[in-house]
Amino acid sequence: MLVQVLLQLAVVVTLLTLAGIAVIVGRYRLRDTRREWASRLRAATPITVVLVVVLLGNGVARQVVPDLSWMFGWNLTWAIYDIEGQFILWLQSFETPALTAFFSFVYIYGYVFLLIFPVIAYFALSNTRPLGELLTAYTLNYVLGLALYTLVIAYGPRNMMPELVEALMYDTYPRYQHLTRQVNRNTNVFPSLHTSLAATVGILAYQTRAVYPRWAIVAVPLAISVAISTMYLGIHWAIDVVAGIVLAYVCVELAGILVGRWSVTERFDIGNPLSRLR
Amino acid sequence: MTDEKTASPGRPRSRRAVLAGTAGLTVATSGCVRQVRTVVNRDAVDQLSVTIVTLPADGDREGIRLAREVAAVLEAVGVDVSVDMRSNEEFLRAILINHEFDLYVGRHPGGTDPDLLYEALHSVYAEESGWQNPFGYANLQLDDLLEAQRRADGEEREAVVAELLEELAREQPFVPICVPEEHRFVRTDRFDGWGEAHPATRLGYLELEAGDDVDRLRTAHTDARISENLNPLTAEYRDHEPFLELVYDSLATERDGEIEPWLAEDWTYDDGTLWVRLREDCRFHDDEPLDADDVEFSYRLLQDTELEGGESPSPPPRYRGLAAAVEGIDVDGELDLEFELDAGEAVAERVLTVPILPEHVWADRAAPATVRGVSVAQGATEAVTVDNVPPVGSGPFRFGSRTEREHVTLERFDDHFTRREGVDLPEASVEELRIQIDPRSTSAIELVNTDGADITSAILETYVLDDLEPAPETAPLESPSWTFYHLGFNTRRAPFANARFRRAVAGLLDKDWLVEDVFHGYAAPTATPVTEEWTPEELAWNGEDPATPFFGSDGELDVNAAREAFEDAGFSYDDGALRVRR
Repeated sequence: MLVQVLLQLAVVVTLLTLAGIAVIVGRYRLRDTRREWASRLRAATPITVVLVVVLLGNGVARQVVPDLSWMFGWNLTWAIYDIEGQFILWLQSFETPALTAFFSFVYIYGYVFLLIFPVIAYFALSNTRPLGELLTAYTLNYVLGLALYTLVIAYGPRNMMPELVEALMYDTYPRYQHLTRQVNRNTNVFPSLHTSLAATVGILAYQTRAVYPRWAIVAVPLAISVAISTMYLGIHWAIDVVAGIVLAYVCVELAGILVGRWSVTERFDIGNPLSRLR
Repeated sequence: MTDEKTASPGRPRSRRAVLAGTAGLTVATSGCVRQVRTVVNRDAVDQLSVTIVTLPADGDREGIRLAREVAAVLEAVGVDVSVDMRSNEEFLRAILINHEFDLYVGRHPGGTDPDLLYEALHSVYAEESGWQNPFGYANLQLDDLLEAQRRADGEEREAVVAELLEELAREQPFVPICVPEEHRFVRTDRFDGWGEAHPATRLGYLELEAGDDVDRLRTAHTDARISENLNPLTAEYRDHEPFLELVYDSLATERDGEIEPWLAEDWTYDDGTLWVRLREDCRFHDDEPLDADDVEFSYRLLQDTELEGGESPSPPPRYRGLAAAVEGIDVDGELDLEFELDAGEAVAERVLTVPILPEHVWADRAAPATVRGVSVAQGATEAVTVDNVPPVGSGPFRFGSRTEREHVTLERFDDHFTRREGVDLPEASVEELRIQIDPRSTSAIELVNTDGADITSAILETYVLDDLEPAPETAPLESPSWTFYHLGFNTRRAPFANARFRRAVAGLLDKDWLVEDVFHGYAAPTATPVTEEWTPEELAWNGEDPATPFFGSDGELDVNAAREAFEDAGFSYDDGALRVRR
């Protein structure tokens, strides 16, 4: 069943990405990319390697984190519920089948598209700085997110209020459980990594709006929808989402500093990178 | 710093300050100071603040809902409440091993025989870790009744049990809430015989008849713990599942509440002595022979996992009550054993249902567990902490492989005695049993529907039951239920040591309404923790709770009546908050 779900995900995200390339990236950038891909790839290789290592390490660490958390972590579920328990209920009072379908789609497909597409879009730019920042920010998200997961044990709203916060997606589309189970443990809700990664893409899309105005128009609302979907679907508390946005901001800022300092690209780039962006 | 002046007037330092200030004053003022001292040195009584430990919805959907309902009624009567959700293992570790709770809500494994209460409530177990008396409850009168029912048989036993249950209903060491129905979902096109025996027991799987060309039984199991730990003695990882019973044989097996021979060919009981004869030529899965010494060893280990190597015995957290009935075992050759028991025939037979463990594997596990650099709690022997993978038993299935949180696969053990000519017992009809972990009832049902599994082996959550759609190849399967939901008190902590307080709390629960609201009607409210056939008429459910009637109706708590009940029990209110000395 997992294979089927993954295949479906791959097909949908590929179609979305192809459409995005046609509408957002455009023919001329593709043409340039075909000419310059080797040098751009070289520039992006170091951070890509770091990201891949972090992702692989993350996969292993996720197996251990719950055990560590139960030994050392703080259990914050009740504190969070006490502060904001009613908000998720209010949000879910708008439930309609159409909204559930929309947010489930956004949570699974929209999210993956949101993470993958900018990698391609920024790769299609002669300036490799946005790509470097994006990949660095992804890496930081995973590293910092994992540290917070270890320190904080928190169950999401669907685990606290199963009757009110219907775990809408998993019951309407049980097969998604197979997918998300591979990635998430149920005590890892603070912060919302879905939100932080989506917000990271959103913030960077806003920063690069001059180059990719259409992407900013797509990415920012999509990132907001991802954040709302995590709450609407009863997976995250509002506090997790706020923490996710803070994490995203921190990661983007740090990425900006780090890429400026250590970028391999910078050394070979002549002139103001921003001028080349435009 | 004003805090120090007002909130902690009783500290020696401030007393000394007062004394120093008055040092030169006359005898007349010393009377005044004494009066101040009398006032100041009385401790303030604070609002009662409690934590309810329970499982999150992923672990027990009904449990967290019950816990929140309990929290709501306690808040209504002026208690400050928080709910502490823990994972399956951490929940059981908190209540059974560490006794780190005020209240908990959860499912008790229960049993078909009232002797389960001996283990659950006898006061000698109040200090032990495990399913033996997690409440820390101690009542000498109840102890006497618990012991008397053990020794009695027949009608005499029924009478003692009735008296015991009435005492229990009065004392409420825990509040039994309801008996949830057990529903599962099965495929009928590949196997016949669903429901011949209870699907939470080994016979439920051995009674199945495989169809032609079917050599694999697949279950969708919603609890991942079986893939993480296969130790029959580790309480935190064990639940209402039959799989370890398929790996480990016991001398006898239970069918519909009756005890039948299994690894023991036969037994006779006479006045506290039980002569048991084993089947010949039985072997463990590693081909070592199973003989009377292994049986004797198993009971010894179940009484003390350090095998008398420690300063005091370290009993395991499971099977404690049954093993305690054994006073001595004489091994008489390879196949014969003589049990000296402190039990009548009814309980004596139940003693034979514990798992038989291979001595050559477990003898080395009697040592205390070690984690470098950490001091390990007393009684935490290797035997109760090891994950026991691969398990070596003698049962009809042997361990094949596992991936944590994904699957456990068992293979048929072809040398098992059930496969012999002339042994008329149900045997494994498939070569492989695959337990597929699938975390939600809905996706487990989908697996059965799409021919990815033959049964949802864990109990289905009640909220999916209304939507179950039987097709020609699938069917719902309902089985008798003996587990029960309960509210457990930690009677080691005030005010839960006070039976009046516990009774007042019990009166806050509208069990009828909870059954409808939380369980969608798929449960029966109850006032006793035993099965219906053992419940005396006076304690049978008659539309309301015969022991602790609800203060209110239809789920609406009459807050004034409830608060009065607490006041009648000797507790006081201040500004709407229930004040309790702790």
